[in-house]
Amino acid sequence: MLTYVLRTLLRMAITLFLIVTLVFFATRLSGNPVDFVLGEGITKEDRALLIAYYGLDSSIGTQYWRYLSSVFSGEFGLSFLERRPVSEIVLERAWPSLKLLLSAVCFTLIVSIPLGILAAIYRTSIIGSVVMVIAFLGYAVPSFIIGILLVLIFAYTLNWLPVIGDGTALHFIMPTLAISGTLVAAITRFTRNAMLDVLSQDYMRTARAKGLPEWIVILKHGLRNASITLLSVVGLQIASLAAAGSVVVESIFAWPGIGDLLVRSAILRDYPVLQFGVLSVAVAVIAINAAVDIAYAFADPRIRLAKG
Amino acid sequence: MTKLLATTALASLMATSAFATEITVGAANVSSYLDPGRDHSNVGSQFYYNAFDTLIAKNHDTTDTEWQPGLATEWKLIEPTIMELKLREGVKFHNGADMTADDVVFSLNRMYQADFPPYQVRARDRLENFEKAEKVDDLTVRIHAKRPEPLWETLLNLQQVMIIPEDYTKGLAGDPDKLEHDDFEAFSLKPVGTGPYKVSEFVPGETVVWERFDDFWGEKAPLDKVTVRHMPETASRITALKTGEADIVTNIAPDQLQLIENDPDMKAAGSATALFHVMIMNVNHPKLKDARIRQALSLAIDRDTLNEALWGGKAVVPSTHTLEEFGELYQPELTTFEYNPEKARELLKEAGYDGFELTYDTAPGYYTNGLLAAQAIMEMWAEVGINGKVNVQDKWSGNSPDMMTRNWSNPMYFADPFGSFGVMWAPNGPSESEGRFNTDEDYAKSWEQFRYSGDVELRRAAYAELMERIKQDPPVLPLYRPYESWAMKTNVNWAPKPGHIPYVLDFRAGSISFN
Amino acid sequence: MTDATHHLSSPRNTATKTFRIPIWSDANWIVRIALLIGLILVVTALTAPWLAPFDPNAQSLISRLRPPIGFDRYKDGFYFGTDELGRDIFSRCIYGLRLTFALALAGAVIGLLIGGTLGLMAGIIGGMFEEIVMGLVDAQIAIPFTLIALLILAAMGSSLDVMILVLGVYGWEQYTRIVRGEVKKLIQMPFVEAARAAGATPARIAVRHILPNVVSPIVVQFTLNFSNIVILESTLSFLGLGVQPPTATLGSMVGIGRDYLPTAPWIVLAPAMVILLLTFAVQILGDWLRDKADVRLRSR
Repeated sequence: MLTYVLRTLLRMAITLFLIVTLVFFATRLSGNPVDFVLGEGITKEDRALLIAYYGLDSSIGTQYWRYLSSVFSGEFGLSFLERRPVSEIVLERAWPSLKLLLSAVCFTLIVSIPLGILAAIYRTSIIGSVVMVIAFLGYAVPSFIIGILLVLIFAYTLNWLPVIGDGTALHFIMPTLAISGTLVAAITRFTRNAMLDVLSQDYMRTARAKGLPEWIVILKHGLRNASITLLSVVGLQIASLAAAGSVVVESIFAWPGIGDLLVRSAILRDYPVLQFGVLSVAVAVIAINAAVDIAYAFADPRIRLAKG
Repeated sequence: MTKLLATTALASLMATSAFATEITVGAANVSSYLDPGRDHSNVGSQFYYNAFDTLIAKNHDTTDTEWQPGLATEWKLIEPTIMELKLREGVKFHNGADMTADDVVFSLNRMYQADFPPYQVRARDRLENFEKAEKVDDLTVRIHAKRPEPLWETLLNLQQVMIIPEDYTKGLAGDPDKLEHDDFEAFSLKPVGTGPYKVSEFVPGETVVWERFDDFWGEKAPLDKVTVRHMPETASRITALKTGEADIVTNIAPDQLQLIENDPDMKAAGSATALFHVMIMNVNHPKLKDARIRQALSLAIDRDTLNEALWGGKAVVPSTHTLEEFGELYQPELTTFEYNPEKARELLKEAGYDGFELTYDTAPGYYTNGLLAAQAIMEMWAEVGINGKVNVQDKWSGNSPDMMTRNWSNPMYFADPFGSFGVMWAPNGPSESEGRFNTDEDYAKSWEQFRYSGDVELRRAAYAELMERIKQDPPVLPLYRPYESWAMKTNVNWAPKPGHIPYVLDFRAGSISFN
Repeated sequence: MTDATHHLSSPRNTATKTFRIPIWSDANWIVRIALLIGLILVVTALTAPWLAPFDPNAQSLISRLRPPIGFDRYKDGFYFGTDELGRDIFSRCIYGLRLTFALALAGAVIGLLIGGTLGLMAGIIGGMFEEIVMGLVDAQIAIPFTLIALLILAAMGSSLDVMILVLGVYGWEQYTRIVRGEVKKLIQMPFVEAARAAGATPARIAVRHILPNVVSPIVVQFTLNFSNIVILESTLSFLGLGVQPPTATLGSMVGIGRDYLPTAPWIVLAPAMVILLLTFAVQILGDWLRDKADVRLRSR
């Protein structure tokens, strides 16, 4: 078991190193921040002045070395734009993002698991089809369309819900709905399939032969078997939620989250913020995935063997 | 005048006592730092006027140039290159410190003798002629220019030379008695000035909170507290007015105006902002070296149709690079730019245009209607046979030799042609230095006379010469003065004042009231 | 975005499954509707130049923002109304569908080829190679894809070719995980071991015994990926990184047009409906194929 944990940790370290390196060189390849931050209409000398000011005048190897050592010393540098420590900036954004993420995950679990079970039990009837159709809608519409429509209906027209920021519980309703679409679709589908897996197991036949109603059997055996796997699906969703899906939702609801920060710093080539932000998200995702893997390995020795 | 002042004071007093005096502003963009010295962005100019003062102030109710006492109560030239200013007594900074000649000298010299790169860059294009400021006594300072300066007041009214406290700034980082670059970095996160509002909270890119500064030297601020919040999405920003989460919102595109005007809860205020959206052309691009091609690109654009279609006719299409605000230097009679598709076709033929692709760079959302205008211009080019292609990117491409054409804005940084055209198109200025514009001795001579002559007529003549040069070998086409709008709740009375540089959110006494 | 069933579900004790293409008579009514929608959309996309009444990029600045048929100020012949530059939304939807369809298909196929090959090789070769591939997979999962897209587009410029590359990179790691997982499971199965004992080469084992078994999860992943790419393309347009205007794609129409939702909603709602139909049909069909291909369900 210990070797397994150690292996997982080593793999994490390698992955993080890969990410740090990839992000470092990808950003350098993609352009100079001076052309994005305040490069409009300045003279050549001034441009050189600013490049030196941002510490971008040394060779890329030197910069990379400096960056790696800064990662190990925990000094991640100043934002090019805001001139304050990037850790402070990312930290400021992490909590609002986390709150929205938790809210979305809770909402998703509450909605998707019953829907998935329903779709499995009634897979041959119309109920099952309807459930899946509804769930698929989550995949089918860009979240910013859902978000803006929600805003126009519930805030602009009906004036029921606030639209800006994360001040109160009411503020969470629309962003949660907008951001959860794909998550609901994914988890509903997953739950249904997991339940179908369970339905084909031998003990289900036994249970059914004993005359227990199918839904009791499903709940009892199915959910227990599916729970850890469910956790891992949620873990996998975090990376995409952290920026892919959430940047648009954060933008619509003026939510001071990390997705908005990452995309903005990428567009403006604010390398220090981008590097630290990606690293933070990656650490979170990898840690969650690793924790799930380890928990899973405890529960199921076969995985341990397969992975080891 | 006194009576008028009293009435406004009374009005604002009534407003203060009877109505809510806390407002929220929803802004499409919020600054990432707050330092008037290093900033000259359109986003930044929203934020400085409430919290900072200049030595010489200006009447912003009119486009005419009327200088007023600011932190200096009187000023006079004691030599052609030396201005002596008497400072106002009893001025306090937001941190409680008294403003002294030392602070003024410190603030000015941080720009005039800049060694902090962001200040160096900013000072170069407009403060080059200033040598230093020096203290005479506690309430007197002298400013030395290198050459006689026709624009003394204008250049002392700049955002970049707003006054900041010396001791406070030095104490922000490192050794409290020494000036380090880190002090300026820290200042941009915790700005302190002398204005009627102090910045009580600043989250870069997200929030700016102003609170009334009770020790302000002039008329007290009409609002207790103003919170500016970042609301990037148009639909959400407008909705925030409906839900009461905002009282004023910025950046309403012309196409949204009808929505605002049809709603009894909201209204809009706007003005043709003191800047030009321009198209710049790279005169050194191998395929654009022939001036006739560039003339054709310019002549093919029907700016009046752009104005009618995209701005509802509210933008202003100029005949030359001139703005009403320039006062005696305003020269609308010049015709530098016009629409003439026939001539464009002719010139293309003469120049032997072979149908090569012309790229037009634009950022996706930075300029109101920028992307729409870009696409419409491609269509107008196609009309005369030019094969144009829009290239959307966030990157500033104006310094790239591959850039052919792109959009840009040419703001009025201060009310003089030097503060608009002059900043961008000076000999060895940014455009030439970026390699997309050339000047020669003749141009430099005209420029010299336009910039430094003490005689207005000579300046006008020189500027006309420069415009003729631009017409013959065009590096730029001003498209229009965009009509920028703000929306607000019906009970708020606010509008951009005509005498400001673009986008200033002015909440000083007399600028906002409620009904 | 991830359907982890196949990666994580416990090994099944099934024999080699053969993938059977289901037919119309197997389908329930929802699947039939989806099939019909899919067919119509494919035909529309293929015949766009004949179907569209106008040039999708032809502007008319004097008739901007005209509403669809049945509303005031409707402009004759422009059934879905006109957009912010007076272009025909109906024609743009048709051409947009064509391009979006092509982009999503190309993207999903490229992802499948890259990811599937890597997964297959990792599973069969194992060792250091597998470690590296799985390290890359983990890295990919942990970096938000929007950022990768943004950096690629920034470094290489935003042309259609680059866009296909970006969309193709999207989702490769999912195929790799799935294929590698299945391979690892199968490789220990008696029938594979028997084949190996009988002297079959790894390539032969891959083609004969392993590929047929991974088809079902891959089909599901493919359909999922296809829809995700359609959505991703619109998100990139939202951020100003999508296909360059004036070229119409469904994503660019909703992404750029969204500011008009309060004032001229048809600009966005028409292409959004097409996106919905497209992804919906693909999803339903994918799920149906999965059910049909699943031995356990078929036997019941």
